[in-house]
Amino acid sequence: MAVHEAGVHHELETSAAPPPRRRGIRRWTGPGWLRALWLTPAFFGAVTGIVALCRWALGYPDLLAFQPWITSCLTFVPFGFLIGIGGFDYWGRYMIGKPTLPEDHSGHGARSWRDYFRVNTDHKVIGVQYVVTTIFFFVAAGLMAMFMRAELAKPGMQFVDSETFNGLFSVHASLMIFLFIIPAFAGLGNYVIPLMIGAPDMAFPRLNALSFWLLPIAGLMMLSSYIVGPFAAGWTNYVPLSEVAPHGNIFFQMAVQWAGASSIMTALNFLVTIITMRAPGMTFWRMPLLVWANFATSTLVVIATPFIAGSQFFILLDRVLHFNFFDPTQGGHVLAYQHIFWFYSHPAVYIMMLPGFGIASEVIAVFARKPIFGYRLMALSLMAILVLGFSVWAHHMFVSGMANWLRIPMMVTSFLIAVPTGIKVFSWLATLWEGRIRFTTPMLFATGFVSMFVIGGLSGIYLASVPIDIHASDTYFVVAHIHYVLFGGSLFTIFAGIYYWFPKMTGRMYDERLGKIHFWLTFVGFNVTFFPMHWLGLHGMPRRVADYSPDYGTLNFVISLASFFLGASTLLFLYNMIVSWRRGAIAPGNPWRALTLEWQVSSPPPVFNFDAIPQVVGSPYEYGVRGARHAVLPEEEGAEVPTREREEVGVT
Amino acid sequence: MVLVGLVVGAAVALVALLIPWLPTAASTEAGPIDQVYWFVTGICIFVFALVAAVSAYSVWKFRAAPDDHEDGKPIHGNTRLEIIWTLVPTILVTAISIYSGIALASVQEPSPDARTIKVTAQQFAWNFAYPNLSGRSTGDLVVQVDKPVVLEMTSKDVIHSFWVPQFRMKQDVVPGINTQVPFTPTKVGTFPVICTELCGLGHPTMRAEVRVLSAADYATWASQEKGGTATTGAGGGDAGKAAFEQFGCSSCHTLADAGSTAQVGPDLDKVLKGKDADFVRTSIVDPNKEIATGYQPGVMPQEFGDQVPEQQLDALVDYLVKATNG
Repeated sequence: MAVHEAGVHHELETSAAPPPRRRGIRRWTGPGWLRALWLTPAFFGAVTGIVALCRWALGYPDLLAFQPWITSCLTFVPFGFLIGIGGFDYWGRYMIGKPTLPEDHSGHGARSWRDYFRVNTDHKVIGVQYVVTTIFFFVAAGLMAMFMRAELAKPGMQFVDSETFNGLFSVHASLMIFLFIIPAFAGLGNYVIPLMIGAPDMAFPRLNALSFWLLPIAGLMMLSSYIVGPFAAGWTNYVPLSEVAPHGNIFFQMAVQWAGASSIMTALNFLVTIITMRAPGMTFWRMPLLVWANFATSTLVVIATPFIAGSQFFILLDRVLHFNFFDPTQGGHVLAYQHIFWFYSHPAVYIMMLPGFGIASEVIAVFARKPIFGYRLMALSLMAILVLGFSVWAHHMFVSGMANWLRIPMMVTSFLIAVPTGIKVFSWLATLWEGRIRFTTPMLFATGFVSMFVIGGLSGIYLASVPIDIHASDTYFVVAHIHYVLFGGSLFTIFAGIYYWFPKMTGRMYDERLGKIHFWLTFVGFNVTFFPMHWLGLHGMPRRVADYSPDYGTLNFVISLASFFLGASTLLFLYNMIVSWRRGAIAPGNPWRALTLEWQVSSPPPVFNFDAIPQVVGSPYEYGVRGARHAVLPEEEGAEVPTREREEVGVT
Repeated sequence: MVLVGLVVGAAVALVALLIPWLPTAASTEAGPIDQVYWFVTGICIFVFALVAAVSAYSVWKFRAAPDDHEDGKPIHGNTRLEIIWTLVPTILVTAISIYSGIALASVQEPSPDARTIKVTAQQFAWNFAYPNLSGRSTGDLVVQVDKPVVLEMTSKDVIHSFWVPQFRMKQDVVPGINTQVPFTPTKVGTFPVICTELCGLGHPTMRAEVRVLSAADYATWASQEKGGTATTGAGGGDAGKAAFEQFGCSSCHTLADAGSTAQVGPDLDKVLKGKDADFVRTSIVDPNKEIATGYQPGVMPQEFGDQVPEQQLDALVDYLVKATNG
């Protein structure tokens, strides 16, 4: 199938022209921002009208009671935007029996910056859209952290009130998790995976485009909760607090639905792409570890994400329609929420980590110039984490009041998951052994990740042990632990990935010197910020407080200073990315001399990735093996393989 | 490399030993919990030193010169090594599991002669009732040293969590179910009771104290309580002022007379100035009826009408009118 499709694409490539310009009224009816501009308010008006009409017909006093009205708006108005921008055009025509537009490929590739603001079905454009959007939300959530640290610099209340503070940490976590880490990995995967497996695109390009456009919707919803009273119940949104919390809570519940839908659609797309569209010769045991990692992650997403969607729907039903899922006075059960929530949210930790493992494996092998040590065990340990990940959720609930007998089995499975994780760490170290290591920026971030992740993993051992967790649960020790895992783990690998594939994505090199300075500032700032939090937690500082005992004043002041330093280091990253994208040196096709397929085409790659389907003949990590090859790119008439690449790949 | 490992191991061990990572231990439960902590710390120092040594050595030794374009040695794996680093961690975590399990068994069951204390949490206050003292209740927990107690806890509104760092014991307090936490205090003194589950805007202020008394002091205190001559947590014997503390008003509201400076809810010195008793009463039992400018409805609990006994409510209203208009 892959071969056939690619063949068609190849023939049509010459006709990939910019989309025709529409004139007059057709500018407002064709897909795009103009149509979204009137369709979104039109949906808003229609939904408002229908809600008022229904309530009037049923004889309710308040025609636009806030909760039912805003819930309906947050559910349906985004469809107005999505239809307007053109996310459903093809399917719409198909559904109503109209002839579908002949595939002109105008939705493929980017010719100018404007093409990044359209519904585009090219996985490379979508990948860039994802990465840039998620960095926007990363900066927003990071600024919230800065505000929090400003408040926490001194005991007592200074800058913000309790409600704003609770809003800051709740929205900070929600944005970082749902709008940054998860989709940033999805974005990098989107760009790289079809290239890595030798496919022309993702299996479902239109679904891919749609799943990207759900993201800004989810992000804006989380941010706009501030308008009606912030979402301030913590990202875990525990009941009953979330059921009595201000209206901003509904914005979180709906934003999770949109972000979750996006995540599930992308994961399905990855699964189908990886299973059906690998180039000939690309057996599972020849797949790069990033592909393995995304395969495991996507399976996790597809199985687990419906649980958080469900948990938030239950709260929504409780709030808006007065169901009693979680109301103990009406026969509901409070802890049921936590079980459903963590059944997603623990696997979510691996959703936020496994792609990072994949990136680290790619980067470490390339820059140590060595095959990945124990490739098969590396792949199998990903699958082991996938399976075990579903059996540990209640370790978040050791002190919740759940049945006592459940503590021991959940503790044992939580400890066992340290084994496959340990295998990965030891294998990365062994990959460095006897290598020829080049410390470029991505390599610095990848090795920095390994060392920080070890600390995060070891503090996880403390928390997995029930007796210690009884003391340390819900304290700053936990704050330290998750930041070692999600900042030292996920964020470091995202940085590694962005620097590593920056030449491929933009066709330009980033500034290596600035990149290295960025790494060292981040590395130092990160440790000074988060390491002392272990001490604070063990000594008695609970998490999620705007005010604390004066005993902890000095240490908190130091942490705040370090966090501002850490925040400032991000400016260097942004500067490097923006300036290098515009004016960086032109990147060769394969600046890192890597073997995986994405580096065997030009930078950026041609619209349909490969001029001819590559033939995979060996492992992706045969560095140092004389004459070994991962793939052969067949030479074709008119194929634009620069001479340098041709020599390196060994095509003669 | 072994040298690097020893140096790192020693350095980390010094950090672990010289910095007091844990607060004072003041209960028998702290014993086994701290033992597990040190056991895990020992293993972690070993693992960290090993990893640090290998990575520091590799980073130093196997760095390539800028003009070096050679590849590394193509080592694909080593089955024996891979078996070792699968088995050794499995053994280590099994050991930690068993040790943790044993420690857990010794801290989670209350001793049969434990005194029961009923704990009720609400936004943003603790209430401790003593069945052995004919149901008297206090806003701070009072216990006798070396006497096992078990707290039977429930919540009136949202989830709270009871934590005394010096006891190492923590347990969520959940509406609709009863949870319990056993402990035996071993040191006379005053320790903080901290709410560790986000419970709303007043969460950081939801603090109380646990006063561990010697046997003699406890007997004196208990006899006073039984006689009803004093209430802990309230000075002056003024029933209204006592209620202001007991029902947690001071956790959220500023009131100069009671010495509270919390800023979650409106400043009572300002908003109650010139108001009559009826207004004050309505504001307590039906807080959403009139909302002070700049504040949100639904934040203040709406159950005070049911929770505060009539007599105490009268005293509270009386007190507030006097304190803000005097």
